[in-house]
Amino acid sequence: MSETDIHAVVPTTPTQQGTPDIVWHVYARRKYDEPLHEIGNVMADDVELAKVYARSIYDEFSWVEMIIMPRASIVTVISS
Amino acid sequence: MNTTQTRLDNPALFAILSSLADNKQAVGRRYAYWCNGAPALEAAVAAAAMTQDELGHARTLYPLLDDFVQADPVQVVPETRTLRYHLAYLDHDFAGWSDFVATNFLFDTALTTFFEAAQNSTYEPLRQRSRKIIQEERIHLMHGEGWIRRLGKSGGSVKRTLGASLAALWDETLCWFGPNDDTTMHNLYQAEIIDATPDMLRSRYLQKIMPTLTSSGFAVPAILNDQQWEASEVLPWSRWDSVTRRLGGEREHGL
Repeated sequence: MSETDIHAVVPTTPTQQGTPDIVWHVYARRKYDEPLHEIGNVMADDVELAKVYARSIYDEFSWVEMIIMPRASIVTVISS
Repeated sequence: MNTTQTRLDNPALFAILSSLADNKQAVGRRYAYWCNGAPALEAAVAAAAMTQDELGHARTLYPLLDDFVQADPVQVVPETRTLRYHLAYLDHDFAGWSDFVATNFLFDTALTTFFEAAQNSTYEPLRQRSRKIIQEERIHLMHGEGWIRRLGKSGGSVKRTLGASLAALWDETLCWFGPNDDTTMHNLYQAEIIDATPDMLRSRYLQKIMPTLTSSGFAVPAILNDQQWEASEVLPWSRWDSVTRRLGGEREHGL
């Protein structure tokens, strides 16, 4: 999904600057034999700022891997 | 206090280390104010992280001053230091978030450009610190670029405010590298403490920042000449102090 598609589809929250933020889910793992698991989320209107925020906020451990993914890329298989 | 090893006698290196340490300290202090006042929670946390980094960089630089014969014991410790070799722009708290973004994107990146030129320095303490600082500064640049893009997209008064902050900091940032015949920087270049002259440093710096500024719609006095960015206006060298590396005259706030 392109960044343009993301902005068109994702329900977003307006910021003080009037630019909608995207919700990015943050996944990380502390050891290579652990699976990636969700540790939280950040809000940012572009992927570069989202990366900065994820690293700054979720720095409580020395993660061996961290990824972020926009909420719009999540596909529901069984809805609640 | 260094009482055992032979002290270095290198006025140029002492001067530039003093400027680097004071500027890192001043940037950290100004960032610190925005740990509670940033426009978004995430930005506040990022500001706190960058504050820690900048103050940490200053803490690794000040002790190097004690290795020089030029050192005055009172002036090598930030708590007792009375000299101010940081930018005049950093004399006062930021007037708004736009000043933070301008400092993050323009001036922090300028200092990083210097550290990149010192990665293979013949002065080992600077070489070691430069490599570490450059690693940490990558995320600072990402933050600055992200906010330049974000506020540029906002348009209107938000964009104009950031434009004013960038304009207020522009000259002093470019001047910090010194005129191309700056004695301090040339001594460092000839001793292979850094690998670039002032003009080379300025050119590297402009290549780094101009793509983001132009793609975000911010007009600054720089032109693209044969695929190289250059300053398009003469810098105010008559107001620049080569010892403190500061511009004289009143600073204009971003708001």
